[in-house]
Amino acid sequence: MSTTTPPRERPRGAAGRARTTTARTHGAGGTGGAATTGSRHNQRWLAWIFLAPTILGMGLFTLIPIVASVVLAFFRWDIISAPTFVGFNNFSEVVQDPTVRVSFLNTIVFVVVAVALQLGLALALAVMVQEKMPAWLRVFFRSAFFFPLILSAASVSIFMRYLFNEQFGVVNWFLSLVGIPAVPWLTTPGGSAAVVILVYVWQNFGFSFLLFIGGLASIPVETYEAAAIDGATGWRKHLHVTLPLLSPTTLVASVMAIISALQVFDQPYVLTRGGPGDSTRTAVMVIFESAFQRLEFGQASAIGVLLTLIIMAITAAQFRLSKRFVFYQ
Amino acid sequence: MTGAIDGHLREITRRTALGALGAGIIGATVASWPRLSGTDIPGRGDDSLSIAIMGTAADAAARQRAIDAFTRLHPEIRVKVQAIQAVDWKDFFTKILTMVAAGTPPDVVYVATEGAQLFAEKLAHPLDEYIRRDAADMREFFDDVHPSLVEAFMYKGSLYQLPMDWNAANMYYNTAAFAQAGLDRPADDWTHTDFRNSLAAMRKARTSDFTPYYWTNRLFGGVVPWLYANDTSFLKETKSAGGDWLWDGFYANDPSRSLRSGGYQWLEPNANDDRVFESFDYLRGLVKDGLGVRPEEGGGSSLVGLFASNRIGTTPAGGYWVQGLHEAGMGANDFDVQFFPRWKTQRHQFGTAGYAIMKTAKDKDAAWEWIKFSSSREAMELIFPNPITTPARRSMVNEQLYAGKGPAHWKVFYDTLDRFPTTGPIPAPPQQAAVETALMKNVSLAVSGDEQQLKQALASMQRDLELALRRQS
Repeated sequence: MSTTTPPRERPRGAAGRARTTTARTHGAGGTGGAATTGSRHNQRWLAWIFLAPTILGMGLFTLIPIVASVVLAFFRWDIISAPTFVGFNNFSEVVQDPTVRVSFLNTIVFVVVAVALQLGLALALAVMVQEKMPAWLRVFFRSAFFFPLILSAASVSIFMRYLFNEQFGVVNWFLSLVGIPAVPWLTTPGGSAAVVILVYVWQNFGFSFLLFIGGLASIPVETYEAAAIDGATGWRKHLHVTLPLLSPTTLVASVMAIISALQVFDQPYVLTRGGPGDSTRTAVMVIFESAFQRLEFGQASAIGVLLTLIIMAITAAQFRLSKRFVFYQ
Repeated sequence: MTGAIDGHLREITRRTALGALGAGIIGATVASWPRLSGTDIPGRGDDSLSIAIMGTAADAAARQRAIDAFTRLHPEIRVKVQAIQAVDWKDFFTKILTMVAAGTPPDVVYVATEGAQLFAEKLAHPLDEYIRRDAADMREFFDDVHPSLVEAFMYKGSLYQLPMDWNAANMYYNTAAFAQAGLDRPADDWTHTDFRNSLAAMRKARTSDFTPYYWTNRLFGGVVPWLYANDTSFLKETKSAGGDWLWDGFYANDPSRSLRSGGYQWLEPNANDDRVFESFDYLRGLVKDGLGVRPEEGGGSSLVGLFASNRIGTTPAGGYWVQGLHEAGMGANDFDVQFFPRWKTQRHQFGTAGYAIMKTAKDKDAAWEWIKFSSSREAMELIFPNPITTPARRSMVNEQLYAGKGPAHWKVFYDTLDRFPTTGPIPAPPQQAAVETALMKNVSLAVSGDEQQLKQALASMQRDLELALRRQS
C-alpha cells in the first residue's frame, strides 16, 4: 500500500495518476532523475515477477476450469468419446430430473438449518467463552472448538457412522441406559438428515466461533460501560450492544458459512450415500455422481453452473441486505 | 490494487491486472498445447506395463512374487502394479475413470463383475483373438474354471476378461448361536421359511446385543440374493446371442453348455414385478420382527468384526470372508457356511473379477501375456496363498486352502456353481453406477415402513431404474 496516497483518497483518472506520480517523485526527494526512473522500472518488473505465480495459478487452476466447465455444460462428454455439442439440452434434462430437483431442495433446507445452528452455536459459545471464562480456560476452549475443523471430514464421518449405528453404535447404547429404544439414525430420512446436520455443524462451527471471538474482542469496553450507565445489562446488553456491533462479523461469518454449506458433500456421502431414498442427497453429490459415476460430464457441469449461479445470487442478496442490517462503527 | 514497494511503484490498475490475467490464460493455454497430461510428469509415462488393482500398497506388494515370476518368463516386459484404495468397486472405477480423464490410464485393470460391462462397452479390448491364438495353452485353464464364471465376462459375444477369483452369496452362520438356539446345521435345501424360523429361534435364545440376520445394502449380498432365490431380479435379465466360438471350443462337453450365451443383458427395469414385491416384503417382515437389521447404504466394512465378536447369527457372504474371520480370532469351528436358502429356486448370486486390457494400452500383446500368465495355476497360487477370496480354478479350492481356518463345509463355495448351474452374476449393465444408486437408495425405505411405503419405494425404484437405463451407456 502506498505511503503517500492512502487508498480511500487515491485520485482517479489520468490527471490523478499524474498527480500521484509527481507527489511520489517529490516525496522521494525530487532528485535522481534517470536513476530513479530506472529503479522504478526494475521495481515494476520485480512486482510482476512476484505476482506472476499467483496470476498464472489463478489462470490455470481457477479461471480456465471455470470457463471450461461453463463450455462443457453445452456438450455431452463421457471422457472416452469426443464431446458433442447439445446446446441447452443438459440444462433442460437437469431441470427435469427429479433427483436433481430434490437434491437442490435438500441443499437449501440443509443450508437454512445447518447455518442457523452453526452461527447460533458459535455466537453463544463465543460470548460464553469470552465473558465467563478465565483467561487460561479461554485459550483451551478456543483450541478445543476449532479442533474438529482441522480433521478430515471423511474420517470424521466414518467415525460418526460407527457411533450412530443402530444396532451397535455407542450413541444408542447411551440412550438405552436411560430407557430410550434404539434410534435408526442412518436408515430413516429424518434420522439421517439429523445426523448429517449434526456432524456438519459439530465440525464447522469452530471457524465461525473464532470469527465471533475476534469480533467480540474488537468491541470497545467503553461501549458496554456506557450501555450499563444507561441501564442495559444481561440480555439487553447483548441485544442492543453486542449484536449490532458484531453485525459486520456476522455478515462475513454467514456469507462463508452459507457458501460452505451449499457445497456440502463429504458428510452425506460417507454417512448415508445420500439415502435413504434421496433424503440426504445434496447438489454437489449429484454433480459427483453425474460426472464420475455416470460419466455425464456435460450434465455435471450444467448442475455446477446452476449451483454457482445460486451461490452468487444468495451472496449478492446477503450483501444487498447487509446495507440495512450491518452496523459499522 | 497498488504496487507496494517503497511507495515508488506505479499503480497497477484493475484494467492492467485483468489484462495480465488474460495474457496469463492465453499463455498457459498456448504453453499447454498439445494438451498436457499426467504422463508429462517426470517419472510417469514410461514403457512399463501398468496394472491397476483395487487395494493398498500392501496388496500391490503381495503381487510382487507373481511379478517376479512373470519377469523371469518375460524379461522384456516391465510390470508396474498400482494399488488404488477404494471403499467399493464403484469407487474404484471412479478413480480409474479419473485416471483416464487425466491422460494416465493404466494398461490393464482388475475389474469385478460390477464394472465388467462398463469396461467392455467403453474401455476394454476383447480377448477373443488372443484366446483363439493361444487356444492350446488356454485349454487347461478353461478345464479348471466353471463356465458360469466365464460367461459373466462375455459381452455381446466377445470375452473381455478371464475370471481370476469369485464369490457367491452363501449363508454364513455362527455355530455357537445356532447351538444356543437348539439348531442343527441347516439342510442343503433349506427354505426361506426354515431360515426365518432359525432367526426366530436365535432371537428367542439371545435377546440383547445380538442380531440374527445382518445384511448390507449393496449390489452383492444385499437384496439381490433373495430376488434370485425367488426367481426374479430388479432388472429383466436376458442373454445375447454369440460366444459359440468359446463354448464350442472349450466347453463343448460341459453339461451346462446349452445354457451358455454371448453374455448377460439387463435392458429393462423389473422393480414392479410381483415377486420383487414378495421378496422385499419378506425382508420387511424380518426387519419389523427384529430378526434382521434395517440395512445401511454401503456398509460391510464393520461386518467381519461384528460377526467375529459373536454378535451376528447369519449373514450372506462368500469365500473371501474366511481369512478375515481367521485373523479376527474366529476358530475353524466357530462358524460355518451353507447354501443360500431356497425359495422358488436356489439360484445364487455371484461376483467375479479378472484383468481387462484397456483399449488405450500401449502394448496389448504384453498385456495379454500378463493375463495369460496370471491365469496359470502357478501365478494364482502366488496371488491367492490365503482364503482372501475363492480362486476361479476349481482345483485350488481344496482342503489345504482352508486348513486350520474353516469353515468345515468349505466345499459349499465351489459346489454352488455345480449344484445350481443357473447361478448368475451381479446384475451390472454398463450403466452400473446409476443402476446401483437407483437400487440402493430405495432399499432402506422399502424394508423400513408399512406396506404402502414398500409400494412407494418400489415404484420409485422402477422410475429411477428407467431413468438410469435410459442414460447413455
